[in-house]
Amino acid sequence: MLLENTMPVLLSRLDFAWITSMHILWTPMTIGMSWLLFALEMAWLKTGDERWYKLNRFFEKIFIINFGAGVATGVTMEMAFGILYGPFSQAVGPFFGNILGFETITAFMYEAGFIGLMVFGWGKVSKGMHAFATFNVGLSSTLSAMWILVANSWMQSPNGVVLKHGLFQVTNWWHAILNDNFVWGFPHMWVACLELALFVFAAVSSWFILKNRNADLFTKLLKPTLLALLIVTPIQIFIGDTLGRDVAMTQPTSLAAMEGHYHTYLPNGKVNTGWHLIAFPNAKNDGNSFAITIPHVLSLLETHTWNGKVTGMDSFPAKDRPDVWVPFYAFRAMVAIGFFLFFVALWGNWLRLRGQFNAQALRKHPWFLRSVVFSGFLPYLAIWCGWWTREIGRQPWVVYNLMRTYQGVSHMSVGQEIFWFTGYIVFELVVWSGAWYFFSRVIRKGADDIAPSESLFHHPDAGETDAGRAGGGFAKPTFAKPTMDKSR
Amino acid sequence: MFLLYIGLDGADLGAGIFALFSKDEEERGAIMASMAGFWDGNETWLVVAGGVLFGAFPLVYGSAFNYLMIPLAVALWAIISRAIAFEFHVHAIGSKRFWGWMFAGGSLVAPFGAGVALGAALQGFPMAHGMALESVPGAHASAFDAVPHFSGNALSFLSPFSLWTGVGAVVAASLAGGLYLCARFLPGDPIHQRAKAWTSGFSLVALAAIAVTLIWSYAIFPWAAAKWTGPDWWFWLAWLVIILGFAYKSMMAHAEQRDFTALLWGEGVVAQLWIALWATMYPYIVPETWTIQSAANPANSLAVFTLFMTGFVPVMILYNWYQIWVFRGRFTKKSVYGGH
Repeated sequence: MLLENTMPVLLSRLDFAWITSMHILWTPMTIGMSWLLFALEMAWLKTGDERWYKLNRFFEKIFIINFGAGVATGVTMEMAFGILYGPFSQAVGPFFGNILGFETITAFMYEAGFIGLMVFGWGKVSKGMHAFATFNVGLSSTLSAMWILVANSWMQSPNGVVLKHGLFQVTNWWHAILNDNFVWGFPHMWVACLELALFVFAAVSSWFILKNRNADLFTKLLKPTLLALLIVTPIQIFIGDTLGRDVAMTQPTSLAAMEGHYHTYLPNGKVNTGWHLIAFPNAKNDGNSFAITIPHVLSLLETHTWNGKVTGMDSFPAKDRPDVWVPFYAFRAMVAIGFFLFFVALWGNWLRLRGQFNAQALRKHPWFLRSVVFSGFLPYLAIWCGWWTREIGRQPWVVYNLMRTYQGVSHMSVGQEIFWFTGYIVFELVVWSGAWYFFSRVIRKGADDIAPSESLFHHPDAGETDAGRAGGGFAKPTFAKPTMDKSR
Repeated sequence: MFLLYIGLDGADLGAGIFALFSKDEEERGAIMASMAGFWDGNETWLVVAGGVLFGAFPLVYGSAFNYLMIPLAVALWAIISRAIAFEFHVHAIGSKRFWGWMFAGGSLVAPFGAGVALGAALQGFPMAHGMALESVPGAHASAFDAVPHFSGNALSFLSPFSLWTGVGAVVAASLAGGLYLCARFLPGDPIHQRAKAWTSGFSLVALAAIAVTLIWSYAIFPWAAAKWTGPDWWFWLAWLVIILGFAYKSMMAHAEQRDFTALLWGEGVVAQLWIALWATMYPYIVPETWTIQSAANPANSLAVFTLFMTGFVPVMILYNWYQIWVFRGRFTKKSVYGGH
């Protein structure tokens, strides 16, 4: 495996790892947040409570910046397939290309169509129409995640294709789309998006309560958010566990790397059931030079039996084994974060049960509020770790067991790759810092300057432009065919 | 798909180039605001076009992107900095000028890069069988070697012709932008006034550019020359006359201040030229490199893809149109800027 990682291959991998890692900072938040914005909007329409409207408009600003950054990095990613992995794009095109094509048409385009209405449509379309647009943004971003996960899961468990004339040709679309890894991989990712957005809501709310600004408004938001998290966090742990067992079945090398599990059997011939808390894999990648091990836990986790057999790395030739360091530790970090977030949700709801849930009482628990603020960043880290586990665990294959990574890399010199890598780093950092600059600006500004919802229909500029004149809550024109009118 | 993108985004890219010569930030802001609500719809056609290319012609996608990486990346970065500028210009206070320039500069560089890429694609590119990356120890012959990969270097795309097509694309976008702004702002508004003069100027430049491109192509591309002067020469000549007719209609409409009509005729010219280009290249999708037949996805995939596509494209056009309709109407420099 290490042999194949020549400089160009390694650089291509690092480059792509960088691009995906930067992209995945934005999209999960868009997906999760769009549903939460829809929930806020529905709460406003149902109860007429102006506070829900205010919260919606406040978080919408963050959403827009986030969406912009997501599109920018996403287009880059689309191109990076062709640039860095030309032969891969060609070989997997018949399936993978179609799926990405479907994604752009049925999800991305759909989303972009409604996001304009959602962002700029306040007061220009009716409230119902606006809520409908918000709903569609949520639905389409979820569809988008679904297609992307179809494509990526297929790389992990390539079902439903045959390799013919150097191309992967689809023999069964259902098997290819609903491949083994996708069935649990997609729910895992989607719930992660929801969990991320909920924690960002909670973290921003806690920050405001800590600073004693708009505290009552944000306490109102924190309540349902924490309640939702009490449901979402344990579900995510359950789905994660199921996905782990799925990986054990379909991608034994990846699971062995995640667990640092080198030997199927112990020297005495018994099944190796030990789970490593800490492990230092040796340089030859055929065993751990140091490990803290708890017997039986691995079997319990992966087979749910006391002595179940888990395939170790030694069942595979050395050239088919992935590196262990990253999957092993990234996986552990992800799981630890998952449990910590569950604990935070429990903590918050326990305070609530004890009647501590108003802004004043909450400020007497600053450590709780600080933990929630901190928890706003943890899901990002967990998503990163999960993605690294997934992608590095699959190595040295780009399509598991069928196409090796070096076979998919484009014809490029090392100098060229360094040029690209630097270019992408600079570019993505600009996007990242720009987005963070504006996030912090929006948050520092707070929710005070958000105009009441009636102003949507009676703002001072209404009437000054044709667009304004067309307002009044409906897209019904007050003039006939404006742009085609000769006299204008 | 690409046609829709060129038609729609050409206009707002061109408006951006126009903004490069704006005197104040207020004017740039007004131009940007006039596109709010659908510029992102336009951009997405590009992503869709990329996705569809990947879906329908993965072999071209994998090799052409490798060949055209520099011009495409330049265009991409320009488009993105422009997109970010869109998002940030409204929020910014101190950095407004910076984002204004990012927007305008990005609008200039993007069509240039795309034009270079198009010109370079017309030239065709070197392909080879076998592994794309040599020098991997332990590498062995594999099934994937059956597919030819791009085998040139990073600067293969560069030629006087490809640079010229870059310039041509900028001219075309500038013209489209002028037509768009005329249709978008109230007559008498300072932006409308300047856009009018701009459009008249660029109409002539664009005609000259088309002539140069045609002659140059005829001189260096045997496949184009063979088609144009082959037995069907009268058909191509008639087509050219029709295109010139469209251009004439557009210029006339513009002179008479029927701005929206002028914009439509202008878009018609672009569409005609684009279709003529594809017809000239047929049966190649990348001249002398990939024929449509050999580059297309294997038949069973393509059938599914087409089925899927045809169902969705009308729906997409429908809600794009709805979006444009909601945000229709003319603007003035002042009002737009205050409104957002």
